[in-house]
Amino acid sequence: MLLVVFLYLAFIAFIVFSLKKAIEFAKMPMHGRWELYPVPKEKGKGHYGGSYYEETKWYEKKREISLAAEIIDMLKEILFIKKLFDNQRPFWWLSYSMHLGIYLIIGWLVLLFLAFFISLPFIQGLAALCGMAGIVLVMIGSGGLLIKRMVQEELKVYTTGQEYFNLAFLFVVAATGFINWIIFDPALSYGPQLMNSLLTLTPFAAGPLLTVHIILAGAVIIYIPLTKMSHYVGKFFTFHKVIWDNEPYLPGNEISVKVKEGMSYQPRGRWAAPHYPGNQKEEK
Amino acid sequence: MAQSKKKLITLQDMKKPQDVQLSTPDLNDYMQLPKPYDTIESQPALTEPKGAWAEKNITFLDGYAGIEGLVRPQTKEEEREMVEKFLSGLGKILSADTNRGMVQPLLLSLEYCAKCNTCSEACHIFEASGRNEIYRPIFRSELLRRITKKYFDKNGNLIRKWDENDPDLNWETIARLGELAYRCNLCRRCAQTCPLGLDNALIAKEIRKIFSQEMGIAPKPLHEKGTMLQLKTGSSTGMTSAAFLDIIEFLEDDIEEKIGRRIKIPVDKKGADILLTHNAGEFMAWPENPAAFAILFDEAGLDWTLSSELAGYDNVNYGLWYDDYQAKQVGTSQLKVAKELGVKRIIIGECGHAHRAAAVAMDRSAVGSYYVPRESFLPLLRDLVKDKVLQFDPAKNNFPVTLHDPCNYVRSMGIVQPQREILRAICPQFREMTPHGVHNYCCGGGSGFAIMNSMNFAEFRTTVATRMKFKQILNAFADTIENPDIPKYVCAPCSNCKGAMRDIFEYYEATEKYNLQYGGLVELMVNALASLDKPYLEFLSEE
Repeated sequence: MLLVVFLYLAFIAFIVFSLKKAIEFAKMPMHGRWELYPVPKEKGKGHYGGSYYEETKWYEKKREISLAAEIIDMLKEILFIKKLFDNQRPFWWLSYSMHLGIYLIIGWLVLLFLAFFISLPFIQGLAALCGMAGIVLVMIGSGGLLIKRMVQEELKVYTTGQEYFNLAFLFVVAATGFINWIIFDPALSYGPQLMNSLLTLTPFAAGPLLTVHIILAGAVIIYIPLTKMSHYVGKFFTFHKVIWDNEPYLPGNEISVKVKEGMSYQPRGRWAAPHYPGNQKEEK
Repeated sequence: MAQSKKKLITLQDMKKPQDVQLSTPDLNDYMQLPKPYDTIESQPALTEPKGAWAEKNITFLDGYAGIEGLVRPQTKEEEREMVEKFLSGLGKILSADTNRGMVQPLLLSLEYCAKCNTCSEACHIFEASGRNEIYRPIFRSELLRRITKKYFDKNGNLIRKWDENDPDLNWETIARLGELAYRCNLCRRCAQTCPLGLDNALIAKEIRKIFSQEMGIAPKPLHEKGTMLQLKTGSSTGMTSAAFLDIIEFLEDDIEEKIGRRIKIPVDKKGADILLTHNAGEFMAWPENPAAFAILFDEAGLDWTLSSELAGYDNVNYGLWYDDYQAKQVGTSQLKVAKELGVKRIIIGECGHAHRAAAVAMDRSAVGSYYVPRESFLPLLRDLVKDKVLQFDPAKNNFPVTLHDPCNYVRSMGIVQPQREILRAICPQFREMTPHGVHNYCCGGGSGFAIMNSMNFAEFRTTVATRMKFKQILNAFADTIENPDIPKYVCAPCSNCKGAMRDIFEYYEATEKYNLQYGGLVELMVNALASLDKPYLEFLSEE
């Protein structure tokens, strides 16, 4: 039963820590404009990087925004890590393997959840397939990245101990799952049993290796949002709230209200350079 | 001075004592240029740093120095002061209290870098230098990130005091980092490729802010002779209102001489539809540019004016590159002029960073006090061409023309097509550079480099920063480059970009040897005007 409780705690911790991070970024003051083109939501212009600034008297015209274009761009990035594919192919193979593996493991859990309610062999089979592929891909991706970072000098010099640890952690989680699968559970049948225990709050019987695997998996779920592996949160802000945020100030609009609020803010701290107000030495 | 061997430079090397120069410029290492500059012999030799500054300033990063006021401490107290002031400024850029305008983008960029090095291939300086490790976009970012993690908690509070025995940080680290912040053009091409949307240019700019806003150290042309002079006299050129009015009179004479009719350039016309703003450097270095604007606006019958008010005749805002406070002061004063003149809109002339400063950077700060709509000159001129308000004879521009895309209004504002629509209409031999549009490469003069000429910084600019652009230009004109009888025109609709072109063409004697010319867009437009009898472009008149 402890394993079931631990996994619930891990899922809750993941959500709470991720939300906490998102709230921290969301609560920060509105930043100065720092957009970067292409901005996909610019209707009819996003594909070449154009914007409303290409129009005369743009401030008198209705903003043309394409939510569909923005979502398509987002999906390309989320599902395929397109920027990495376009600009850094050798790295993409390993990184995408790891990410796709994680997506497949999430898919595995979703399918196991569905299979609990809908008893179709197809779903169970697909779930097992997702789980197996996910474990292998995470192992290849994280292991490959770990080796690449250790041997490739220009990556090695920038990689910190924690970054090696993060990859090693993911690798060990996937590797323990892999060994358990290959040696003890060729059909990955512990998946449906675990889901059953989770949903019925009944004890889950696991051998020593599977217990280690589940504890490590739970630990990594708690650990991810505490580290920069929480970039699923950061990426929302970097794209939506920074480089795609090209909302202009127009009298009376939402931005103008925020600007007005910001103007009344009095900082407690003060910069020290001589040209700052109050820091000037008296001129003779 | 001991030179380090050519091995991979690491972040730890930044701490090495001042008698170790981390990198030595060498043409053999640099990215190869296309013909006719494809051999070392076809390029001017590099120089050794010499003069009193070479021992006083921070030349021990890469042999170059760009910041006059960043000098080697003379005492232990000065060393300590340098590090402590830097840490104090670092705390301030991490704080939502003192860095409200940029804290969110900065913390995101500091937090999430995956060190995948995707940004490296996108950086023209890194590539042009032959992939010199110190110019790798994440090199300076990662150094700042590590100092931040060691000294600050996640709320930006200092968690430990610096001690001179710190194995990771000493005054040499800070001094090298200060210079290194000026080895990035802030073009943001790296950020376009980042899978996580992070921005190394922003980090470089924030380092510049620490030096300026906390330590009082910034390149003279940006600060003392830039924003400070502009706030005092009205222009970073030092041009006063009276001098400006004299120049306008001279321009009217010059226009009359060139086109055979006199134009009255409107100044301080209250309630005009358009306040046209120029980079004041144009009046001094390229007066044919504001003159061309006057000819086009006059011929189109627009209701426009220039301003002779303090801050009204110079649209530059160097604060954009190094100091938020200065940027806001300059930006506010410029908007105030427009508001008081009662114009309906500001049209920003051929200056890239002035576009971004007035239209974008000031949009959530200065406009709250003085709102006036700001537009680029490009859509306006495109409409005049498209609607046939202006009549052209493209045959007058029948020579190879390529277009340089200024980063500030292309990559950072999304103005991509209007300039192309104009060029296609008036230049039969227009050809694109590769890459172009929002994926362009910086001219190498961005973020202040174009005006930083003291010590030996100009050599870094002309040999490394502008190298990729020069390569693009040579490739764009590969079919005619070696024929000096054919003029080849680089259309660079931005003052700083033109400055970078001027310097690189002079450095490589490209105009003299291969008839490479540069200039703005409006000069090309005036040259093609059907109503003109004589060429407007000087190099055509000389033929």
